[in-house]
Amino acid sequence: MRKWFWSFLFIAFGFVCSIAAERNPRTERISGSAGDVLEDDPVGRLKVYVYELPSKYNKKILQKDPRCLSHMFAAEIYMHRFLLSSPVRTLNPEEADWFYTPIYATCDLTPTGLPLPFKSPRMVRSAIQLISSSWPYWNRTEGADHFFVVPHDFGACFHYQEEKAIERGILPILQRATLVQTFGQRNHVCLNEGSITIPPYAPPQKMQARQIPLDTPRSIFVYFRGLFYDVNNDPEGGYYARGARAAVWENFKNNPLFDISTEHPTTYYEDMQRAIFCLCPLGWAPWSPRLVEAVVFGCIPVIIADDIVLPFADAIPWEEIGVFVAEEDVPKLDTILTSIPPEVILRKQRLLANPSMKRAMLFPQPALPGDAFHQILNGLARKLPHQKRIYLKPGEKILNWTAGPVGDLKPW
Amino acid sequence: MKLSALQQSYLGRRSNSFRSSGPLDSSSDGAFKSPAAVFWLVLHGLSCLISLLLGFRFSRLVFLLLSTSSTYTSPFHSPTELAKTLDIRSVIPADPVGNVPLPFPNKTATNSRVVVGRHGIRIRPWPHPNPVEVMKAHRIIERVQTEQRLQFGVKDPRKIIVVTPTYVRTFQSLHLTGVMHSLMLVPYDLVWIVVEAGGVSNETASLIAKSGLRTIHVGFSQRMPNSWDERHKLETKMRLRGLRIVREKILDGIVIFADDSNMHSMELFDEIQNVKWFGAVSVGILANSANIDEMVVEKRGEEENPRMPVQGPACNVSNMLAGWHTFNTLPFAGKSAVYIDDRATVLPRKLEWSGFVLNSRLLWKDGDKPEWMKDIDTLDGDIESPLDLVKDPSVVEPLGSCGRRVLLWWLRVEARADSKFPPRWIIDPPLEITVPSKLTPWPDTPPELPSHEKPVIGIQEPIVKHTTKTRTSRSKRRSKRKHDETRTDRRTTGFDKTLQN
Amino acid sequence: MGSAERTKKKVQLWKKAIVHFSLCFVMGFFTGFAPTGKDSIFSSPAVAPHNKSHISQPPVNQSVTPAVHSSNVNRSLRAETPVPVPVPAKSNELESPKQVDGTVVHEVKLPSRRLVIVVTPTSTKDQFQGVFLRRLANTIRLVPQPLLWIVVEGQSDSNELSEILRKTGIMYRHLVFKENFTDPEAELNHQRNVALKHIEQHKLSGIVHFAGLSNVYDLDFFKELRQIEVFGTWPMALLSANERRVVIEGPVCDSSQVIGWHLRKMNNRTDAETDADTKPPIHISSFAFNSSILWDPERWGRLTSVQGTSQNSLKFVKQIVMEDEGELKGIPPEECSKIMLWRLHFPIGVVPRN
Repeated sequence: MRKWFWSFLFIAFGFVCSIAAERNPRTERISGSAGDVLEDDPVGRLKVYVYELPSKYNKKILQKDPRCLSHMFAAEIYMHRFLLSSPVRTLNPEEADWFYTPIYATCDLTPTGLPLPFKSPRMVRSAIQLISSSWPYWNRTEGADHFFVVPHDFGACFHYQEEKAIERGILPILQRATLVQTFGQRNHVCLNEGSITIPPYAPPQKMQARQIPLDTPRSIFVYFRGLFYDVNNDPEGGYYARGARAAVWENFKNNPLFDISTEHPTTYYEDMQRAIFCLCPLGWAPWSPRLVEAVVFGCIPVIIADDIVLPFADAIPWEEIGVFVAEEDVPKLDTILTSIPPEVILRKQRLLANPSMKRAMLFPQPALPGDAFHQILNGLARKLPHQKRIYLKPGEKILNWTAGPVGDLKPW
Repeated sequence: MKLSALQQSYLGRRSNSFRSSGPLDSSSDGAFKSPAAVFWLVLHGLSCLISLLLGFRFSRLVFLLLSTSSTYTSPFHSPTELAKTLDIRSVIPADPVGNVPLPFPNKTATNSRVVVGRHGIRIRPWPHPNPVEVMKAHRIIERVQTEQRLQFGVKDPRKIIVVTPTYVRTFQSLHLTGVMHSLMLVPYDLVWIVVEAGGVSNETASLIAKSGLRTIHVGFSQRMPNSWDERHKLETKMRLRGLRIVREKILDGIVIFADDSNMHSMELFDEIQNVKWFGAVSVGILANSANIDEMVVEKRGEEENPRMPVQGPACNVSNMLAGWHTFNTLPFAGKSAVYIDDRATVLPRKLEWSGFVLNSRLLWKDGDKPEWMKDIDTLDGDIESPLDLVKDPSVVEPLGSCGRRVLLWWLRVEARADSKFPPRWIIDPPLEITVPSKLTPWPDTPPELPSHEKPVIGIQEPIVKHTTKTRTSRSKRRSKRKHDETRTDRRTTGFDKTLQN
Repeated sequence: MGSAERTKKKVQLWKKAIVHFSLCFVMGFFTGFAPTGKDSIFSSPAVAPHNKSHISQPPVNQSVTPAVHSSNVNRSLRAETPVPVPVPAKSNELESPKQVDGTVVHEVKLPSRRLVIVVTPTSTKDQFQGVFLRRLANTIRLVPQPLLWIVVEGQSDSNELSEILRKTGIMYRHLVFKENFTDPEAELNHQRNVALKHIEQHKLSGIVHFAGLSNVYDLDFFKELRQIEVFGTWPMALLSANERRVVIEGPVCDSSQVIGWHLRKMNNRTDAETDADTKPPIHISSFAFNSSILWDPERWGRLTSVQGTSQNSLKFVKQIVMEDEGELKGIPPEECSKIMLWRLHFPIGVVPRN
């Protein structure tokens, strides 16, 4: 009887432990020199064939709305431009390792400048229909050696609301393709195994121009500018950012060490450069441009987004440069941050000061070695050679072209 | 619901054990059958706790379901004002989240421990901010700033030797405190040579002692004269005295001349570390009440404020010393102060001492130093500026982006020579009460309101009481005022005179 | 007989157990609606003590639960306002770290000081603001932490001020407002209110002091400032160029008790315009107050808050001081006899024309 009791306790304890273990962030970095960006040169290791698509899939769309060039999903456009002149590009599809379909699926903005990806599924479908009928390569693998840049909130789920996105799932015809996306969250329907998570686009020139001298004393302990509550879309709170941002505000608004506010000052970039910690809590999606800004401005990112998959996590030592705080630990944020030994903080700052770290987060024009474009290519190169089993037998079909919501099946 | 399964099996086991251990009445005679009963009590409590937890978990689930599937009617108060602007996604068309059909429509999503849907906003119950953590954070900030200085700041900084002439007067505390605070912030080794006219005084000594800096406080027997011209001469002598101390003590470092009325940007102290032998920086001139608009500054460059006159080195396009910006005294012709009591603008010299820095080795008796340096022992108070210390003015190194950056400022304001102030600023005997404490007149609300003070007072006290009280204070003040009138008179007229300039 | 009795007893026992369990279940159920710091106790064994405090307040939660949909946030806000702390005005609770968190062990090493909030309004119309701001910054930089400097400025294209502030290394907040003013005095008041609103919105807790750009401080002043519990005031010297008389204004004290004021009219020019009987005001730089009166009026025995009365926080503060002058503390406590703050009267920005 007593034995039963103890065994029960034991089981309960084991249960607790298993939960605890589940919460520990897993690291999946490829071994490289400690604290440095994994050095890799993609040139010569892969060849990419860029499909020639009618300009209605890319250039025309951009002409209609040049704002697409500056919003945080602009990576799809710059990636296209980069590949066109990249040494990894091949004009001979027969020798290509990867096939790239240049579609600007996110470039459909509301008057206020927000992308609504409602038409994107039809557009992607139409583009794939085109390439599969004009070239033999799609049908060979049904997209397994094709990659698509889908930088929207929930990647290829093409919806800005998480429930809807989950409900939709990744667009059926993209199931086999490699997706290059900003969205990264472990065990999420919208993140395929093998996807490449990239940083959101942040204007490199603008950020460069606003650099302040490195000896400017850092006098802000914790910095954050942004929403805490999204009153319009989440009037009740606790849904937006899974309540984490609201918790930051409620617990720390009265702490003079926490320079947090909803007001966006003109000195936002400068202020980040004089802060020690920059909060990067999740919003509607787990990622935000603050990640990029923090790294570029040498402010230690405090990542509050459970199970986030960080951009180029295989190449960038996020655990070394950032601080990870579980969403449930937000109320203890001050204790967590103040108990980091100064030596650790200085080390993180030193690593952040590394120019290669900053470069890997940006999509500069023209491209630079080690920048985000190159990191994407590195990611693609690491997936090579393709496994034999991705090539389908003649006549074999895996993808279901008629799956998904009826709305998506309409012609574009 | 792993737990509930556990619980059930546990209960099953429990009922089995009932039979084996016979009847059990834990509540009535628990104390009597102690060990077993206590155990059962514990077990009972434990299972109570478990069901409590179960309930808790269940309620979270229910809460989630309810909150996601219902439409909201509840108002949203205080945070509404905060959460207005900014976030890029905030403008997503207002589609109430309530329309969302199910929180977990997908298997994969439920596998993740990240739950889609509503979460509680976690607010800690313990008080905050924790003062200990605040101090820890400040330590971290301090450490980071020190590291930044080490990494990006001046490498192998030299000692800074500050020479300051001063004397006891009404404005001394105000001026000297300001300079002292700047010097206290200097992150380099520093010696402060304070030369005091009229001999070393306790007043000055106690003031500079607060700095905690290494100070050399020496007296100068001569008193400070009243004419500005004489003053400048005496100050020059005092500075030379300071330089002789540098020579005697063989202090090694960079000598700067900080007048007690100067104001410094902390960058100045980094910038002067660049001097090799003899450098000059630009000095911003804060000319009191002058008609600045009429002033013509020859070359404006990238000064902080284009309207502020600047004196200092002027460079040509190739960043070589080409000449000097001097203070244009033309608009002040005949209007500038000759004596300290004059109600007119005090003008700077052609080139103020504070705009020069030099390597202390130039002052040493021995050692290899350039030929162009004059021996300070041969000089007396008749030199106009440090420029007279060198035989060839072209050796001067222009500092601060070739004089374009202004890193220190000159301001001369003094009280009248016969001005009195309480010694060490300790009020003794106590001040006279002009307003009784019950009628504290708080600073006004914006003056555009017609009767600005009344509403504040009116709310507080019954009107009758109020009027009587004011009257008493008023009469008191009247008498005081008459007393004051004579003294105030000069002041007011003087004020107007200055304004007419 | 035995079997019947036994079953009866057993049933009773079961009943009892079930009642207990369901009671517990219901309790847990309701606890679940509380805005917890954790979503389950299991997941956070380390912070169990904090959770207990949630469980111990079911009455509050139950009273709320009927409105299941009532805003989570509202409730959290309610729970968060420090109601249960009965704070006698004189208590030193801000200074005592002991009651804060059990996890703090090595608290003895670090001295914990009260926060000083220095508010400085600036104006780009003042051509010398940069210079005086630097001087003031050099002083503030020397004040022991924690200190928060709130600098308020009208919107302008110039980033001079931000650049100066950035280089100081002080923990500051630079607030910018959009409104335009023609009257500098009205602007000053607005600026002070902007700062107070910031303090109020953020519920910053500390001693608020308005520091003008022409102020010069003895560093001991800030030590004294930290001793203030509610309101504090001190004498101040006003120095003007080419004057003989030194104007000293401020409280007259018996020990630290303010027994009266020594004031004289400072603004001579408006003398003719305004009523001759209006009392000369105390200068705004000569008093400080505990910021919590802005956002926690209940603690000060007041029902109304700033929003309740007016949008003018400054006025609100003054009003409270007037009502309770007994709380006014003169500093330094020795008869308020030491001047630690000088103001330079320097006709800045006044460009006289002929």
